[in-house]
Amino acid sequence: MTRCDPVTLEIIRGAARAAQAEMEALLERTAMSAFIREKKDFYTALFDADGAMAVGSDLPIFGDIVGPVAEHFPIETMREGDLYWYNDCYGSRGAVSHSNDQVFLAPAFHDGRRIGFVMGWAHFSDIGGLRPGSISPDATDHFQEGIIVPPVRLVRDGETNTDLLRTFWRNSRFPTQSQGDTSALMAAVRLGERRLVDMAARFGSAVVADAFAQLLSRTEATVRAQLKAIFPIGTTRFADTIDSDGQGNGPFTLRLALTRTPDDRLIFDATETDDQAPGPVNLLMHPDVPGMALGLYVLQDHPAQVLNAGGPRAIDEVRLREGSLLAPRAPAPLGLRGLTMMRLLAALHGLVAVARGGNAPAAHSAYVVIALRGTADGRRFLLSDGIGVGYGARPFADGTDAVYFVAQENYPVEFMELTYPVRLRGYALNPDSGGPGRFRGGCGVVREFEVMADEAMLAVRIDSVKNPPWGVAGGMNGGSGRAVVNPGTPRERLLAPLSDGTMLKKGDVFRIETGGGGGWGDPLERPADDVLADVRGGFVSIEAAARDYGVVIRAGAIDAAATGAQRARRRPTALFHRREYRDAVA
Amino acid sequence: MPSPDAAAGSPLIVAVDIGGTFTDITLQDIATGEAWTAKTPSTPRDPSEAFITGMHLALATARRDAQDIGRVLHGTTVATNLILEGRTAPTALLTNAGFRHVLEIGRADLPRRDNLWAWVKPRRPVPPALVFEAAGRIGADGTELAPLDEAAVREAARAALAAGVAALAVCFLHAFANPAHERRALAILAEEAPGLALSASVDVLPVVREYERSMATVLNAAVMPAVSTYIARLESRLAEAGIAAPLLLMKSNGGVAGAGSIRRAPAQTALSGPAAGVVGARAVAAAAGVANLITVDIGGTSADICLIAGGEIGLTQTGRVGPWPLSLPMVDMVTIGAGGGSLARVGADGALTVGPRSAGAEPGPACYGRGGTQATVTDAHVVLGQLPLSLLGGRMALDAALAEAAVRGVAEPLGLDLAQAARGILAIADNNMVGAIRVVSVERGHDPRDFTLVPFGGAGPLHGCAIAELLGITRVLVPPSPGVLCAQGLLAADLKAEFTRSVAQPLESADLARLEQAFDDLEQDAAAWFDRETVPPADRRVERVALMRYEEQGHELAIPWRVADPAALGEAFATAHRGLYGFDLPGVAIEVVTLRVEASGLLPAPAPTEPRGGTAADAVIGRQRILLRDAAVDAPVYERARLGTGASFAGPAIVTQLDATTLVGVGWTARMDASGALMLERG
Repeated sequence: MTRCDPVTLEIIRGAARAAQAEMEALLERTAMSAFIREKKDFYTALFDADGAMAVGSDLPIFGDIVGPVAEHFPIETMREGDLYWYNDCYGSRGAVSHSNDQVFLAPAFHDGRRIGFVMGWAHFSDIGGLRPGSISPDATDHFQEGIIVPPVRLVRDGETNTDLLRTFWRNSRFPTQSQGDTSALMAAVRLGERRLVDMAARFGSAVVADAFAQLLSRTEATVRAQLKAIFPIGTTRFADTIDSDGQGNGPFTLRLALTRTPDDRLIFDATETDDQAPGPVNLLMHPDVPGMALGLYVLQDHPAQVLNAGGPRAIDEVRLREGSLLAPRAPAPLGLRGLTMMRLLAALHGLVAVARGGNAPAAHSAYVVIALRGTADGRRFLLSDGIGVGYGARPFADGTDAVYFVAQENYPVEFMELTYPVRLRGYALNPDSGGPGRFRGGCGVVREFEVMADEAMLAVRIDSVKNPPWGVAGGMNGGSGRAVVNPGTPRERLLAPLSDGTMLKKGDVFRIETGGGGGWGDPLERPADDVLADVRGGFVSIEAAARDYGVVIRAGAIDAAATGAQRARRRPTALFHRREYRDAVA
Repeated sequence: MPSPDAAAGSPLIVAVDIGGTFTDITLQDIATGEAWTAKTPSTPRDPSEAFITGMHLALATARRDAQDIGRVLHGTTVATNLILEGRTAPTALLTNAGFRHVLEIGRADLPRRDNLWAWVKPRRPVPPALVFEAAGRIGADGTELAPLDEAAVREAARAALAAGVAALAVCFLHAFANPAHERRALAILAEEAPGLALSASVDVLPVVREYERSMATVLNAAVMPAVSTYIARLESRLAEAGIAAPLLLMKSNGGVAGAGSIRRAPAQTALSGPAAGVVGARAVAAAAGVANLITVDIGGTSADICLIAGGEIGLTQTGRVGPWPLSLPMVDMVTIGAGGGSLARVGADGALTVGPRSAGAEPGPACYGRGGTQATVTDAHVVLGQLPLSLLGGRMALDAALAEAAVRGVAEPLGLDLAQAARGILAIADNNMVGAIRVVSVERGHDPRDFTLVPFGGAGPLHGCAIAELLGITRVLVPPSPGVLCAQGLLAADLKAEFTRSVAQPLESADLARLEQAFDDLEQDAAAWFDRETVPPADRRVERVALMRYEEQGHELAIPWRVADPAALGEAFATAHRGLYGFDLPGVAIEVVTLRVEASGLLPAPAPTEPRGGTAADAVIGRQRILLRDAAVDAPVYERARLGTGASFAGPAIVTQLDATTLVGVGWTARMDASGALMLERG
């Protein structure tokens, strides 16, 4: 076995990162759907010759990407130039977890030998199904969530199966976008393939293989050591709840247990999680996900490591229960699994908080998506708007305001008004949505739309309303989101946070408020000047400053005497906070 | 500006480059190409002091009069440093009612390479408490939907004054489609707050996307007070010195503009310094007959990389300065945190990394003997014998023992010997640059092997051969004065400005007469600008460019607008798309998004001067022991100034000069070009 020395290893890691950057630049520049080019819902990864992800994106949701292809097309039968494709959730054990996400995968060869794989992944805005956008809270069956592409071979011996592509495009309500996005993704994967081959040509296949092996073992060792440092021997438990499935069912509770055995095996057990939901909030969680997610969390202190399949390897066993919310049986609908995913990520931090007495980030809100569809000027339109939320405060900093998820950007107001029949009446931070704390939770946003189309149907997806994001270590919970039609008028009505089918007419206004993140640490200990700056900046109201932070502001300045008195009234806190201080949230 | 030919007795131009430590002045006679340089310590509190001192020094050396100066060229880092160091003036922003958090929210862009749980949002240049709202609204098509609330504008001005701001920016939604509200607000603000620097988005960046435009406008306003004061001081000092010549400043787009237009749009100078370097590299390469080049400007903490194809410097509208997007036209370059001072460290997990942290100017690399103990890239060069122990013509000595001690700190935990560790540090730094070069080249669809590498900056020529080898590049061109190339760029730059208009039309059904009319209008704007800059008609150049994309794409490609023929333009676009991205989309509609007129006012370039030295043998001033991978060799050290045209020698060798050291690698041959550049070739 040719050993890759530490210097070359660092160089190969850099070359892999550069290859990803190139692929992403190409995708962003050439894709057509706003979901890819403005929101940037795409990811890339490089794999070793056996299909283990060696260099991934910093996203905690990937499962085994290559395995599902290899089941149908044994790896040894693959040839140079092959390109594979799927979006099949149940057919990939959740490697893809809703059908809008397309995975394109190419093996890379050097001197006739397979040296690895390259992935391009992107969310396609419409692939057919029940409603435009393919995802709807109304879905009751996975087959309503768009065309399913099992692992297929799209290219062989230089021949592209265009019939397959045409079938796929024909199933989209926006076939030109689908065509453009497919072309962009295929070109990006080809570019990554060339870069991987370049690496093998430069360093030798064996050296690249050893580099990938070292990157995997390095990440595994780091994640394992960090998890050992966090979790004591025994079982750590945490549970949290999502509000609803959008169809009148719920709440649904996720119950997680992480066991470290005396011989240092790590076992993740989610079998006590509630049964699957009739509505599309089921998360078909690939067993690799807990390791990826905890991996991303612990790697924040190790920037020289890459998130890859080493994370999942650090967890020795993952136990799921078929028929539960995290392991639904086909064909349970999956479209809105994002909100369960976001709650799961916070719950993993909850495990850390329990194990470390609060030294962990507070919970974040689940990102919000709305879809507005209709016809304007004789053309069908689909506005899928991903809207930022507040993230949890941390033991070292405030939570991040107004973020959707890793690397995903918002739609500029001007872009929306030029592209869709809407007008924005406001886009600002949602005051008091950040959970009070020594470090404040991030704020969500307020986005207010006026409908300019004659008629349009609105879907909203907001969770963490009944169960707002918890605060930790004395920090308080973050605020909830809501959706209102025609606010401040006699026709005002509150929409169900997870709902579809709301018909709006020209001139109707709808206002989306998104939730914030939980706070960290006792808000009475937040420096009063920081609270004043939050008030001046529109993050915190004067009332909340007095009520939650004990900071009394009069005429734009801190009333020192009143503040001192307020802050002297200490009260007992507990590890978590949701509406009140408590030792557990669910 | 009068052309130097017309202004008899003014054949001199002067370029002033102000660095952190020294201010470099180059004086050149346009007719003969003869040049004189002067170096004087910078005066950070009032940089114009060194500016004038240096100019007098250079004039004295040249035995010429101040009255002979016909043009003063300057690259300024004032705006850049203020932005990067977060020291811009207290600034307020006026925006639409309902949108006060436009800067705070941004694009919700938690960077792709950052950890979701660790990332902390950088503090905005304007805090939300200083963002004021006014009702009133322009729609996407430019119609007024609600009138401007003028009372709110007045109130905002008063509140901003009361808060003690020095600058006010205005950015309203869709102002690029109809600037009426911004214009009116600007007028009111000028009445209410006469002392403040004011800036409106239509004057700074009239393009779609409100966060990016707001940020550009805010940054423009926030650097305006300091840049204005700075320019005013320079102008008064020039006047005191009896210099009537116009002052021209380098913009981020690689062109220069008069001080008046820079005062209004100072954010255009955010990349002034690096742009000057790139223009200088192009000029040096052109003189040596090289049109396709990749420039690598390696300084102490960072490296700027730029690709020039066919002599054209590419511009980008999606640049960044520090954490902020700055969508003004700027030279398309990539900056990475790798320079001579970049620190090497071994993490607890055994990973060796180099940069982005840097030892900076203080304490600097360990070998400087100013207290640094961690190994830097420069220390690695010293350990390998690639850097002479005496720099700046003997004014600076390096301590090899300190360098070795520092590199040992990396070698031991990795189980490497000293030379292996030093080579490792350099390999990682070189590879970081190679990764960045690949990104720059693929985004333009180029194969780096078709290019000549032009390394500059104090540390550039030490890395040229190594980087070239990694990229398969066989030619490296080292400029005559690699450490002060900015001055060359200033001397070589033309006046430049762009004029754009959004049109958004499908190409197939485009109203060509309207587009031609729009181009004519833009050319009129360009003509007015030429007049303001007093460019003689014979020196005016304009080019029409259409920014096109497939419908529903988000990025455009710039296609020259030669004839108004949709079929030909469509084919040109498809060809460019294929070349860049590897595919095109037959049957998909193409849109013309924006029209652009690129205007250049040609300035007479000085003639290059031939090197005056002799043969290679005449130039050897010593030998130095270099640790190659297989053996240690005693390599010759050449003095650059003693090398005449055609002087040729093989590597390994070291070439020293005042401002930089060149390492000629094994397998490379160096030859002195008639233009004064040193051409290194391999194989």
